[in-house]
Amino acid sequence: MEESREGHGLTEDKILSIWMILFVALVLLPSIFRVSLGISHFYMKIVIKMLEWATLQIEEGVKKQKAMALENLISTGIIQRDKTPMEKEVVGQCRGCFSLADVMYFSKKGCEAVAEDEVTRRFSSEELLSWNLLSRTNANLHHVSWKLAAVWVIGILIRYCLLLPFRILLLMLATTIVGQFPNGRVKGWLSNQVQMICATLGIRCLSGLVHFHNRENKPQEGGICVANHTSPLDVLILASDGCYSLVGQVHGGLMGLIQKFCMQTSQHVLFERSEMKDRHLVRKKIREHIADKAKLPILIFPEGTCINNTSVMMFKKGSFEVGGTIHPVAIKYDPRFGDAFWNSTKHSMMTYAFNVLTSWAIVCNVWYLPPMVKEVLTLLYVLKVLEEEDAVHFADRVKAVIAARAGMSVLPWDGGLKRKKVKESFKEEQQKKYCQIVIENGSVGNGNVC
Amino acid sequence: MGSAHSVPAEMRELADRTGFTSEQIEHLHRRFKQLSQDQLTIRKENFDSIPDLEFNPIRGKIVHAFFDKRNLRQESDGLADEINFEDFLTIMSYFRPIEMNMDEEQLDRFRKEKLKFLFHMYDSDHDGKITLQEYRNVVEELLSGNPHLEKESARSIADGAMMEAASICVGQMGPDQVYEGITFEDFLKMWQGIDIETKMHVRFLNVDTIAHCY
Repeated sequence: MEESREGHGLTEDKILSIWMILFVALVLLPSIFRVSLGISHFYMKIVIKMLEWATLQIEEGVKKQKAMALENLISTGIIQRDKTPMEKEVVGQCRGCFSLADVMYFSKKGCEAVAEDEVTRRFSSEELLSWNLLSRTNANLHHVSWKLAAVWVIGILIRYCLLLPFRILLLMLATTIVGQFPNGRVKGWLSNQVQMICATLGIRCLSGLVHFHNRENKPQEGGICVANHTSPLDVLILASDGCYSLVGQVHGGLMGLIQKFCMQTSQHVLFERSEMKDRHLVRKKIREHIADKAKLPILIFPEGTCINNTSVMMFKKGSFEVGGTIHPVAIKYDPRFGDAFWNSTKHSMMTYAFNVLTSWAIVCNVWYLPPMVKEVLTLLYVLKVLEEEDAVHFADRVKAVIAARAGMSVLPWDGGLKRKKVKESFKEEQQKKYCQIVIENGSVGNGNVC
Repeated sequence: MGSAHSVPAEMRELADRTGFTSEQIEHLHRRFKQLSQDQLTIRKENFDSIPDLEFNPIRGKIVHAFFDKRNLRQESDGLADEINFEDFLTIMSYFRPIEMNMDEEQLDRFRKEKLKFLFHMYDSDHDGKITLQEYRNVVEELLSGNPHLEKESARSIADGAMMEAASICVGQMGPDQVYEGITFEDFLKMWQGIDIETKMHVRFLNVDTIAHCY
């Protein structure tokens, strides 16, 4: 009996040591030297083939036109908005008079807004054209064929029973091994390397595959790096290729723990979104930070909140007022492999982490764009006045460049609408416009009715 | 996986009553769930989350119209506190475009329904008449954003409009006659020349049934 127990002990040790060796050889060492062994690429190819097969299964028996009509519906929504401007619709027969029919125009616009609006669509996960075999991306489960159902069940088994424990194990191993590194007190180059290794390791553990483009435009010291925001993974992805100082919202829970951990290694700026004086403080800190050329570039997400990666919303002008060089970065996730968008009003960090760990993979493209500065509009030598581009205009310019590169649409709306309401001053714009049509140069009093 | 794609009985009944196809109803249902934040009913506060609607000068009247019991085809009067998906669809169906296969009688009924919806928007005290004060309210709401416009100007526009309406509806009035207000019949008369069917509609897209997992 004792012999068999010893035998068991030996085999367990052997298994553990084999695991360790495999881990070091296949995951840790490549992460340190940032070399790809091609395992992830191979896995991705398999997943793509499987999804293509699944799509063919679904499209069998469905005419092509119907598939295209569905594509239209999903991308444009349920209604076709009437784009005729207010002037044309309201004026009708005469200008400068009020008509009963004017109410019709506004009630129609109101109904269109209730049926659908561009903004709230961006705060829920993107709808996919064809199913990627994750039940969370499918609002209605319809039975299509037994083959597809079987593949879906197998997919569930693989994802929950194989990939999930595998990834959790990797993460645990990774954190224990990296924790052995001399950290905290060793500054400079070594600390940066450790940070990047941790980030790369984290991504490998999530089966993440990141393609970096135009590495020559990578942000340098003393610049501000600006990117579109979809999830906390953005930080991990960018950190695996360079070291940044972060500016972000203070979180609680699991996210808060992660933040505390990061604060130990380098200087990050954290603030509370709702605090007014915090914002001034943040701006001051950013200014000091970029003034010091030796410090790491700052990473800012000007949208201020997570958007679902189909469009870029308004960039807050705060980071563009500070001056300095802006290095834009565009990040676009491939939605086929898993939804990286963090809907913070719907999912907590734990739920989101679980979703990420049970997706097929996280695949994304990162484009480093050439640096941009504010344009100089006029230069009055005599008065020594330099008129620079307006911060808002500059922010819009950067936003357009990022959206164009990543293939996303541009929306002028504020990401803060996720939590707040529209400002009063915007509401009055429409009324003013209507007034001008009806009143006409302020000459009032005839009150004609058409 | 879920059951086969069969249309449940209530859906068909809804489709018949409101005139939407089952796909449109499904999409509107998703929109309803988004607005109500996954509850079964919508309240007035839920409409605050639509940024586009904030821009509309008669936003208050539009939201009001959704909760107006007269629009919900109930016999009673007054305002509902909350509406369910059926009521939501009923209100949306007022903005449906005309269909090719409608005959004269259907077209006439359609037009009357849309006009009744507008009438209820003007007639805020539910007494069946649009009085001068109610008319003034609507004009003021439409024009109130302009700081240069005094209240008097908005008033004079409304007064002039009311007089014009009176002359259409009642003809020549004696010096002592007082015009009570625009009733629904008068309202219909005023709109005779105007093509409301094509102006007051929202183009809902139409997609045929697809056995897709989307």
